[in-house]
Amino acid sequence: MKYFTYIFRNARRNPIRTFLTIASTGICLFLMMILLAFFDMREDATKANRVFNRIITMNATGFAGMVPIGRVPEVSRMEGVLAASPYGWFGGKYHDETMPFAQFSVDADSVFKILNEFRVPDSQLADFKANKDGAAIGRRLASDRGLKIGDPLPLKGDLYPVDMDLTVRAIYDGPSNRNLRMCLFHYEYLDEALKKVTMSSAYGGSLATDSARTSGNAGMIFIKCKNADVMPSLSKKIDDLYRNSEFPTRTQTEEAFGKMFSDMLGDLQNAIYGIGAAVVVSLLFVAGNAMAIAMRERTSEVAILKAIGFSKGRVLFLVLTEAILVAGLGGALGSLGCKALCDVVDVAKYSAGFLPVFYVPWRIALLGLVVSLFVGFASGVVPALLAANSSVINGLRKVV
Amino acid sequence: MEAKGYSFMRQTSSIVLRSVYKEYRRDEFVIPVLADLDLEVAEGEYLALMGPSGSGKTTLLNLVAGLDRSTKGEVTVHGQVLGHLSEAEVTRWRANNVGFIFQTYNLIPVLTAFENVELPLLLTSLSRRKRREHVMTALRIVGLEKREHHYPRQLSGGQEQRVAIARAIVTDPYLLVADEPTGDLDRTTAGEILDLLELLNREFQKTIVMVTHDPLAAARASRVLHLDKGRLVDEVIQETRVSIAS
Repeated sequence: MKYFTYIFRNARRNPIRTFLTIASTGICLFLMMILLAFFDMREDATKANRVFNRIITMNATGFAGMVPIGRVPEVSRMEGVLAASPYGWFGGKYHDETMPFAQFSVDADSVFKILNEFRVPDSQLADFKANKDGAAIGRRLASDRGLKIGDPLPLKGDLYPVDMDLTVRAIYDGPSNRNLRMCLFHYEYLDEALKKVTMSSAYGGSLATDSARTSGNAGMIFIKCKNADVMPSLSKKIDDLYRNSEFPTRTQTEEAFGKMFSDMLGDLQNAIYGIGAAVVVSLLFVAGNAMAIAMRERTSEVAILKAIGFSKGRVLFLVLTEAILVAGLGGALGSLGCKALCDVVDVAKYSAGFLPVFYVPWRIALLGLVVSLFVGFASGVVPALLAANSSVINGLRKVV
Repeated sequence: MEAKGYSFMRQTSSIVLRSVYKEYRRDEFVIPVLADLDLEVAEGEYLALMGPSGSGKTTLLNLVAGLDRSTKGEVTVHGQVLGHLSEAEVTRWRANNVGFIFQTYNLIPVLTAFENVELPLLLTSLSRRKRREHVMTALRIVGLEKREHHYPRQLSGGQEQRVAIARAIVTDPYLLVADEPTGDLDRTTAGEILDLLELLNREFQKTIVMVTHDPLAAARASRVLHLDKGRLVDEVIQETRVSIAS
């Protein structure tokens, strides 16, 4: 502690260089935190879905494939199923927003039995069910767009050749780590609009009947099971039932469904980890270079310290601590700053519904801090060893 | 016949150099700097070393201060044979026994006068309060107790050298080594610094070994030794010049 004044004053001796080193470390770690938190959080969110006992049926070939709507009641009647709903991604545009929110066509009667972590006032839920053009939106979506009950919610079709003129009938709320930015609307409303378009001469029946964008497509089937024990057998039963049909299915738990998205990002994830490692290495060189220059400028001072009795170990300690202090400050600003910012600013708002929530977990922020301390240590170790082993005579020669 | 190194022996010697030979190696070249040098410096003596550049003054000073090791021969300071100490031991020995004063002061620019003087005390186990007492005493001796919060850039050259002297004496070392302590100062300020060194020698019984090119600075010493090509060639005791050759 008694050396802190010396270390601190040396660290800020060249303010511009120190600022640049801190800034480069801070910015790199800030970006790394965002990327690491993104993957870590997805994993967390996926695991969190375990408790809801839900499974999802989709076309075996993927999202583009069709799941006939007639299968929803068939699945609903199966042993072990509490409720089932179609769940189709609409992907429309809201006004001129380039990054809109998640929109799903659902069965209004059953969707909140399935997504039972959400709470909707009874009167609003009744209104939502009663009005075919009704939409139930999340609290955060309502607050972001300033929407309230009775407000129009026009969605311009992008994937689908139809527009949805919805009216907000219900605003649901729920745990803060769940997606409170969805827009759920009646499947029938979309299906009727699609039927009209398919039959319209303007489209000339160009939408093939097996296209996922035609009417009669549930998109996916979201199923609430009685308990976790029935989920494997139920999934198998559903897939077995439709295996030899025109549209075979793939049924998996909600957790596995989420993991499927993570797996789709698998290569990207590895690439990002690789880039992150490269950034840390380059950061190490930047900080190391700054430290080496600083020590070269202080050759005679190091010689003086050693002349008046500072041992090799003590010189090593002083230089290393200075390097760790500078990089650690950058790391603290980058990682803890990123966490603080993400806690204050709702980043998920800008993810077009891709991220229900976004936050930097403490373990990721602390990992960033540890990485910065490592960068400080690794960048300082060579200059520190050189300083500790430098010759007093040679160091003093500059001035003696 | 090749001249042999001259011996300068004192009765109560505390610095003793016996047949000291020092050479430096630069790539394939071997450069002899000191040759068979014998020297004794008495306790409390004020010794000035003079000679042309490359004569070995600073090398001799470095050997006495424990900054360098002789190639051959033995250097004993205050009863301690420096050659017997490991690098870590000689570093500790320097911290306790030697104070350094340099031509360019070599203060740490980011530390105040107080913090610069305190630096050697950080190596001790003294409490913060005790360290402060020692530092203020040292600053008082050099007449800069009111400048404790000033940074080196806020001090004149003479004041910087005074702070350097305070740093050299703050641990109350037995030996002060000064390498051209007045080399960067004007005549008046140099006189003040030399007065201070004289005071430290006379009042505080510090043994001082000073390298200088300045005859006026050397005149303040109780003894002046001249080196040339690594050999002691001349001695002046107080104002009585003794020709070694004779």
